[in-house]
Amino acid sequence: MAQPDKAQCRAGGEQPDENRAVIDGATTGEYKYGFVSEIETDIIPAGLNEDIIRLISEKKGEPEWLLDFRLKAFRHWLTLEPPTWAHLTIPPIDFQALSYYAAPKAKEGPKSLDEVDPALLDTFNRLGIPLEEQKQLSGMAVDAVLDSVSVRTTHRERLAEMGIIFCSFSEAVKEYPDLVRKYLGKVVSYRDNFYAALNSAVFSDGSFVYIPKGVRCPMELSTYFRINAAGTGQFERTLIVADDDAYVSYLEGCTAPMRDENQLHAAIVEIIVEDRAEVKYSTVQNWYAGDSQGRGGVYNFVTKRGLCRGDYSKLSWTQVETGSAITWKYPSCVLAGEGSTGEFYSVAVTNNLQQADTGTKMVHIGSNTRSTIVSKGISAGHSQNSYRGLVKVAKNAVNVRNYTQCDSLLLSSTCGAHTFPVMEIDNNTAVVEHEATTSKISEDQIFYCNQRGIPTEEAIALIVNGYAKEVMNKLPMEFAVEAQKLLEITLEGSVG
Amino acid sequence: MDDLLKVSDLRASIDGKEILRGINLTVKPGEVHAIMGPNGSGKSTFSGVLAGDPRFTVTGGTATLGGVDLLGLSPEDRSHEGLFLSFQYPVEIPGVTMVNFMRAAVNAKRKYLGQDPMSAAEFLKMMRQKRAVVELDNKLASRSVNEGFSGGEKKRNEIFQMAVLEPRLSILDETDSGLDIDALRIVAGGVNKLRTDRNATIVITHYQRLLDYIKPDFVHILYKGRIVYSGGPELALELEEKGYDWIKQQVEEQ
Amino acid sequence: MSAAEAFGQYLELCRARRERSSLRGEAVRMLNDEAFRALPAAIEAYRGKSLDCLASCRPDVLFAPDYGVNIDALAMYADVAASFRCGIPQLQSNLVVVANDCIHIPEHLAGGTDGIEVYRLSEIPASLTDEVADVLSRTADSRNVAMLLNGLLLNDGIYVRITGTPERPLQIVNIFRSDMPMLTARRIIVHGLSGCHGQVLLCDHSQSPEVNHLNSQVADIVLERDAHLELYDIEESCASTHRVFNCNTVQEEASSFNVNTNFLSGGTSSNTWHIDTVGPRTETHLAGLAIASQDQTVDNRVILRHSSTYALSRQLFKYALYDNAHGGFGGRIIVEEGAEYTDAAQTDRNIIVGDTAHMEASPQLEIYCDEVKCSHGATTGQLDERALFYMQTRGIPLDTARRMLTQAFMADVVEQVRCEVLRQRLHILVEKRLSGAPGSCEKCAGACHGQTSNE
Repeated sequence: MAQPDKAQCRAGGEQPDENRAVIDGATTGEYKYGFVSEIETDIIPAGLNEDIIRLISEKKGEPEWLLDFRLKAFRHWLTLEPPTWAHLTIPPIDFQALSYYAAPKAKEGPKSLDEVDPALLDTFNRLGIPLEEQKQLSGMAVDAVLDSVSVRTTHRERLAEMGIIFCSFSEAVKEYPDLVRKYLGKVVSYRDNFYAALNSAVFSDGSFVYIPKGVRCPMELSTYFRINAAGTGQFERTLIVADDDAYVSYLEGCTAPMRDENQLHAAIVEIIVEDRAEVKYSTVQNWYAGDSQGRGGVYNFVTKRGLCRGDYSKLSWTQVETGSAITWKYPSCVLAGEGSTGEFYSVAVTNNLQQADTGTKMVHIGSNTRSTIVSKGISAGHSQNSYRGLVKVAKNAVNVRNYTQCDSLLLSSTCGAHTFPVMEIDNNTAVVEHEATTSKISEDQIFYCNQRGIPTEEAIALIVNGYAKEVMNKLPMEFAVEAQKLLEITLEGSVG
Repeated sequence: MDDLLKVSDLRASIDGKEILRGINLTVKPGEVHAIMGPNGSGKSTFSGVLAGDPRFTVTGGTATLGGVDLLGLSPEDRSHEGLFLSFQYPVEIPGVTMVNFMRAAVNAKRKYLGQDPMSAAEFLKMMRQKRAVVELDNKLASRSVNEGFSGGEKKRNEIFQMAVLEPRLSILDETDSGLDIDALRIVAGGVNKLRTDRNATIVITHYQRLLDYIKPDFVHILYKGRIVYSGGPELALELEEKGYDWIKQQVEEQ
Repeated sequence: MSAAEAFGQYLELCRARRERSSLRGEAVRMLNDEAFRALPAAIEAYRGKSLDCLASCRPDVLFAPDYGVNIDALAMYADVAASFRCGIPQLQSNLVVVANDCIHIPEHLAGGTDGIEVYRLSEIPASLTDEVADVLSRTADSRNVAMLLNGLLLNDGIYVRITGTPERPLQIVNIFRSDMPMLTARRIIVHGLSGCHGQVLLCDHSQSPEVNHLNSQVADIVLERDAHLELYDIEESCASTHRVFNCNTVQEEASSFNVNTNFLSGGTSSNTWHIDTVGPRTETHLAGLAIASQDQTVDNRVILRHSSTYALSRQLFKYALYDNAHGGFGGRIIVEEGAEYTDAAQTDRNIIVGDTAHMEASPQLEIYCDEVKCSHGATTGQLDERALFYMQTRGIPLDTARRMLTQAFMADVVEQVRCEVLRQRLHILVEKRLSGAPGSCEKCAGACHGQTSNE
């Protein structure tokens, strides 16, 4: 062992105090979405039992089959325990103390913008969500979900002309019951896991997307989620179906007010991709992360999965995870169709006392299926950030290829960065490759930037952005800018 | 004299795309043929198909070497029958030393011909002799096959293997690419030393340069999967002068 | 059978012996006491699924069959031991033979010449009793059921005290021979004293291929400041011999530990390498290869915990799986808070050949410290097709080309062996194995059936 080198390394590793100060001082990026909207809300009593589920179903005027589905899920949920395998410390959650339904009070459903509560519009405007048609960003259709209820969907008429259905889940249940019934729970069964069962029992709303055969959706479809009411959980459900040769790019954004208590978000996303269809699903997750002492913040326990059922279909997940006190989330692809492709691009940033355990599953069932996983973890403060992944090659899946790269960047000496990949291979024609590295921003890089006149904080932002670029590039333009800003805010001054 | 190589209407494709569209070529012992052509004309496909590269699918035609049907043989049996391919990009094989590699090759051929394996001493003596042909460093022998070799060393190593295996027909696929003038001289010198009136050589090249050193008897121009012109050495010079666009024009006009 | 039943059967069996207090030696009794104390809770807390290893390699599965146990510590005939030699030409070793669980140590080794002392656990000199107890307390794991069971069932073990730089490696040859299914509990405790340089070679063989055998083996290793140990492990047994091996190691400042583990044949082999580097500037190298065919199963779990500064560790594991062979690899690197300047890397490469072969790999990093360099890479695939074609064009038949490439693939693991004679031998063993030779002990021409070469 070359001892002198190490000695040098130590000498070089000692951090100038001012750098350390910049780094520590910056941990206090403010959460600018932390306001609470004064909106009259219809909240049902806390607690969870069959009566509550019947009440939710009744409030939404649901058909009998859906109530049955909820009840079955609820009864199954009662037999389950919360999962403990993740590298997370989750305080016990009192599921009876939550209210499972909160909706902005409105007379009927709003028919036009004029009927929407101005406070509500203001909320979404402050979030930068282009709910008002005239102010909207070009070419983006938005469904906004406040607490449990879809508030308004834009651009519906134009999409309808092409046969595209983009509406709230509740509306879909009323207007397209056959479609919903056909696909609901087919990719994520209520038996899948504890939180999926819970969601299936109490889900309140969400988005529904159907792209008919051969149609390329001409605009980005987008949903903004916001938890506003106190003491509630949010349990939305998204269902996307891309029929043969269809294409859609779907965006999801989330925020929540700053509250001292934790809020639970347990969503389900189900995607079905038919022959030669392609779905891009992008998330910028910015739920309230709690303060620097770890008070408050959202528990984000989400089950997202897509089924590439069709031959040569493609599903691409891109996520930028900056918020939430605890994230438990594994957007996955079941690659059943011959030659189908799954992708997962992720940037997960944790700071202060945040915890994230996120990754993906690529289940190769069909032959000639391909998957790519690129995960970039960035941990700062006292946070814990884990990548967890599974690549599975079934016995009859011939010529499967997977490439996985997960990198971790550590920005403090008190945070944790972990990698837990599993590869299970049952076919002797598969090639599965995994690479992982862990590093910190080198003093050399920072010094180089400093020498060129770039202050340390900016240098760090620059380097982090460069590090995450491969993933950021996968986001649609409008989102990429926002995501980059979020990254900077989350890490403001947090670097060590 | 009998034909050594006879190729008739050879057709081949990769991933369903037809690259060779009916090649006819006859090579007699003692001859040197040059095959020239623009990029993508099918030159390397042709050499790969003759050697049995599994990436290509033969869709029609025949190829015989000394009367033996090549297309029905495994790549190793084609080698045993006396076909040698000098790769444009010699493959690196980490962990397999040149000595072990060549001994396996030599003894497999001897077994094919019904001969006893060579003794270690005989084998090492032969390696020493053959190394001299291309002035190959002694040290290369103990290194892994092509691993960490420079471009020039790789090509010299190909000719060294050719010297050891004593093929009846050698195909040199772009052997000049990536060589400086000294290396080119050594490689070409090696090839010339190995020429006899019983073996033959096919030189595949993009440029005339190599042909200054290895003088061809015949020059063929391959374009879009067919041999469109054949002639003497002067054809290569004409091509050098007028460029491949000239060929393209000629072909389009016809 | 439930896990509790699988383990519980042995607890019942040993209770009677405990009452008779027929165990010899304080160290053996200590391990036995610890087992009785900790096992019930450990069994209670045991969750097979949480172990991550291949399902068929879990202790509850491997301990489930009703094996015979040498509960009364009946001695194996000494001449059995004398008739076997693990033949490694030119290897001059200090040879200890373990026939089932009976240990034969040449007399001169107890004397402490040549920088090494070897004792039976049942015959530790009084002056060393506290030392042995101290080593065992440092490597103990009160939650590890397999280790506790080993302590429970143990009749005797080997205590190796490396005090200097022995000229010859210590070779421990495990031989199994029995007419009925048996579980043998074997334990090796290695204490590397400050400044020592030692080599230990473990060889596993079986002479009763028709009889089921479970080899419960534990190695407890403590390396003091600046102690250096090379541990080589060669498994060449038969389909009916299974093993559960736990190697727990504690490394002090500036010590080095080099492991080379080789699975050439056997039944189900489940191995756990638990290494804690507690002092600064430690070096740890783990290399392993497995060539498995038929229904052979190999699982290696590495738990490498760095809790001091300037630790260097390298892992390299390679498997080639034929037929219906199953392979599992889990390599967890944990870098604790404060373990600055750790440099840890791990590589896992596997070739799947068999139609029903199965591979599970989970390289893991757990990092709680920022000033570190860590990486891992894992690939599972096939031999390079271009290289195969290239070799074919030179006349090398496809199956020879495959064998040569596989051998080359394994070569860098073998190259990690520092003992020259052993390295050469291992190259040959790998070549023989890949040429379709033995596959199991009974057809083996080398190893323990071979001519004596040492004396």
